[in-house]
Amino acid sequence: MAIGTKPYEWMVKYTPQKEWIDRRGLMLWLAFFFLELGAGTFIVASIFNNLLTMFIGWLICAVGGGGFHLFYLGRPLRFWRILTSGKFSSSWISRGLTFVLVFLVLGGTHLLLALGGTSTLWLMIAADIFALFAVAYAGFALNFISAIPLWNTPLLPVLYTILGFWGGLGVTLLTMLAAGATAAMPNIQVWSQVFLVSFIFIVVIYLLGIRYQASFGKNSAVKTSVREIVIGRWAPLFWVMVVTFGMLLPLAVAINAWTIGLAVPVVFLSAVITLELLGDLAFRYCLLKNALYAPLIPL
Amino acid sequence: MRWGMVIDLTKCIGCYGCVVTCKAEHHLPPGVFWGRGVAGEVGTYPNVRKQFLPVLCNHCQEAACEKVCPSGATEIREDGIVRVDYDKCIGCRYCLIACPYQRRTFLSRETMSKGYYGNQEPTELERKGRELYPLQEGTVVKCNFCMERIDQGIEKGLTPGVDREATPACVNECVARARVFGDLDDPESEISRLIRARKARPLHPEFGTDPSVFYIQY
Repeated sequence: MAIGTKPYEWMVKYTPQKEWIDRRGLMLWLAFFFLELGAGTFIVASIFNNLLTMFIGWLICAVGGGGFHLFYLGRPLRFWRILTSGKFSSSWISRGLTFVLVFLVLGGTHLLLALGGTSTLWLMIAADIFALFAVAYAGFALNFISAIPLWNTPLLPVLYTILGFWGGLGVTLLTMLAAGATAAMPNIQVWSQVFLVSFIFIVVIYLLGIRYQASFGKNSAVKTSVREIVIGRWAPLFWVMVVTFGMLLPLAVAINAWTIGLAVPVVFLSAVITLELLGDLAFRYCLLKNALYAPLIPL
Repeated sequence: MRWGMVIDLTKCIGCYGCVVTCKAEHHLPPGVFWGRGVAGEVGTYPNVRKQFLPVLCNHCQEAACEKVCPSGATEIREDGIVRVDYDKCIGCRYCLIACPYQRRTFLSRETMSKGYYGNQEPTELERKGRELYPLQEGTVVKCNFCMERIDQGIEKGLTPGVDREATPACVNECVARARVFGDLDDPESEISRLIRARKARPLHPEFGTDPSVFYIQY
């Protein structure tokens, strides 16, 4: 059954969520991406003690993540209510944006102090801990929605966390390639390969797992969601951007590194990393676009 | 006290009167419906029948919308009514995503700028409506069980569900008398007796939200 979008099919057929992906909703898709990418980059760069990349990560998180979050809100000037409402105990947006703010404050302070050579390891670790929460936030925010079975699986926070770190490794590699700082690159490439394999593994488990959950009484909307992603309207995006560019191309580069060891030109490597990030973005789009509610009829 | 509603689907004739009355009562802009009718087919050929389901906010006591609201704009009152404080809403739409019944609406600039007569100036009635019901652009709205009527009625010593003045507009309007409103916590109220006698069930209880709207099915 195709996704019902006509007005008279509202909640009679599987009905897609639109608020977080259509029109202004695209901003939230980008906000989640940049937030995780930035925080992931900060953590990876801090492990390799690369101040410039840490700053880039911090900036991506603040400007991209924070900015798109703010622009998405219907009432952005009331943003401060998230911090004072006391809803930290139950709302993942409240938790997530609090983590992000604390990370930005701690991370920013660390970067400023590090410039003068006065920052401490403990401050960096504290910033990294909150950056880790920021990486995982979107996965938990989506996972909490029990009405959308595509998201309501514990694998989603794991998947989003892996994506955040994988993206962070990609940005760190890109920065190092641009700066010509190749000393730490082999280590980062190994970690990038580990996260690539983890990403492929989790995506397969995730899609198969939720598809077969439907066979065991779980809301059947998820079957349609997975079908739409894999063989439906969004299949070209999934197979070209996510699988080919996001998985197979980086995997081919990794296999080359493990086996033949042919030297890969910097431009080609940069292009592969950029496509990898676009694959990440496309996968997030598929997940948001194909999130379906079960019909209200039959009762 | 917990206000609730029973909708008797064996009586409902699918006239959409409740939908229209709700729009008029709350002066809702074009395209915004707090109450809606879902009309679909159930069964497989040749044993097919039409099913009409009037839906509104279920005023759940384990409301997903209230849990996810980051600004505290959505709250559950002591009488069980789930309300949105428009002054607190930041327009993140997390509540809208979380509602399994999809009974919330975001008031975008486009929605609020539209009048009922295209590009013409809003009519006197529309202007008055905006004054009486100051909905805010960029916030989320939903059915509030006509809480103004309930609150004012109780102040006057009236009983919601019994006295029309203190009863939600959709219940008053229903020509088939398919809707009953009352206190779910009072075992002797008409609504509680009806739920027991007719085995009324909430809509899709598997969502675990403990709704306050019950349906008597065929």
